[in-house]
Amino acid sequence: MASTTDTGKAPSSHVELLFQAQIRKARQFRINVGISWAVLLFLLIFLFSGKNIQIGSFTFETIQLDSEFMVKNASFIAQGLSQTLLISFLSIFLAMMLALLAALGRLSTFPPLYAISTFYVSLIRGTPLYLQIFFFFLALPQLGIVLPGIVAGVMALGLNYGAYMSETFRAGLSSVGRGQREAAMALGMTPGQTMRRVILPQALRFAIPPMGNDFISMTKDSALVSATGFVHEVMWRATKVGRAQFNNLEALIMAAVFYWVMTLVLTFFQGRLEARLSKGDK
Amino acid sequence: MPLPIVKISNLDKYFGRLHVLKDVSLEVPERQVLCLIGRSGSGKSTLLRCINFLEEPSHGIIEVDGIKVPADTKGKERRQLIHDVRLKTGMVFQEFNLFPHMTVLENVIEGPVTVKGMEKDKAIALAEQNLDSVGMLFKKDEYPMRLSGGQKQRVAIARALTMEPRVMLFDEPTSALDPELIGEVLNVMKKVANEGMTMIVVTHEMGFAREVADRVLVMSEGQLIEDATPTELFNNPKDDRTKALIDRYRSGEA
Repeated sequence: MASTTDTGKAPSSHVELLFQAQIRKARQFRINVGISWAVLLFLLIFLFSGKNIQIGSFTFETIQLDSEFMVKNASFIAQGLSQTLLISFLSIFLAMMLALLAALGRLSTFPPLYAISTFYVSLIRGTPLYLQIFFFFLALPQLGIVLPGIVAGVMALGLNYGAYMSETFRAGLSSVGRGQREAAMALGMTPGQTMRRVILPQALRFAIPPMGNDFISMTKDSALVSATGFVHEVMWRATKVGRAQFNNLEALIMAAVFYWVMTLVLTFFQGRLEARLSKGDK
Repeated sequence: MPLPIVKISNLDKYFGRLHVLKDVSLEVPERQVLCLIGRSGSGKSTLLRCINFLEEPSHGIIEVDGIKVPADTKGKERRQLIHDVRLKTGMVFQEFNLFPHMTVLENVIEGPVTVKGMEKDKAIALAEQNLDSVGMLFKKDEYPMRLSGGQKQRVAIARALTMEPRVMLFDEPTSALDPELIGEVLNVMKKVANEGMTMIVVTHEMGFAREVADRVLVMSEGQLIEDATPTELFNNPKDDRTKALIDRYRSGEA
């Protein structure tokens, strides 16, 4: 705030006016964005309302959805949310473990560890996630390894995200300056103590916001697991009822709404988390 | 003559092909305040960092309070010896290197609790005593981010002291500070010196060297070129390179 008492009243009020104008401008921008969002959302809903608009001789037809089908099947699809969230939580947990190990391996001076880490990341990043999921569901049974659907799904997603997230961890670990390690060493800490007490806590704080983003995209990538037909999450349920009654349009729209809302909720919490973490920096 | 706390024998250090320390030998007796001066790149920081093995000596022997570490010791024995040496030495860095995720008090008790396995209550009592003596007790629950450079460095000194070392190593402790904050750190260092701590201080602060040091070493191109009391050094420098250093300091002062 402009509380410059020593410079006299005139400049102070001038600063105050500019400051107020800036705040007003920012607020106006947010309001306008909000209104535009509302309009876009309204248009999108209107597009599926089934109402026809007559403008002169031109008739604008919107899409008619089978509302009876939607009402009847909404809860069936919604029941998949728990599976979607369960897969996502388990997978992100596995991914975090793998990512941390891979990141440590990548920073290791021991050749085999470095090799294992880079090999894993290269293999996973060099093949499609879709293929990896099918590998766990379809290829492993050929070797006599039949995993329960959710286990196979979690392993595929966890392995995949772990490879990508290892970069985030590595960046987090390298963001901790050399001086921190030296200070810990000078105190007599062992390498393990230095890692646990000094490096990791700082690296994690750096890595948590991007990991939140990864988690949000994982909730959506978990839909790929439906393709195997063994895990009854949102996408599987949507395609099942959609195909059965040839109401794919309605079923997919409902699934999309569920994913979108879930993402919005998670994004909200992630924003809160990020704000809280950055507060500790000041 | 009291026994040396730090004894360096025939120390050599290479960075790749660069020969940064050339056959350096040095003994520092107990309670001595030794200032290491010299132009940047002369090897004075490297020499200091070899004492607690933040730099690995290429050849020679480092001995701290009776713990002797020849450069060619290997493996587990070496790790143990280096660990023992680090328990005897406290280090203060140019960039403070406080742990940003810990409060001031947590920073200071971290070493005693994690490394020495000291009980937390005991560590806190000791830490508070040392924070008080550097004048930082009132900020004990703050995070380092909220402290000025001078305050950070005072906390860093308290952190090193709380490990109860036999010798304190200072690596250009005031070089990262705004000029108006240098005084408070130098005053704390004076206090530590007056309490009888053995200190090795790499510094550009000629004033501090002249006022507080018992002995000043001048380094140039990896060698000790002059070893004198501050009075001798400032009044009657022998080496031309030392004269140049002193003249520069005098002209800066005038």
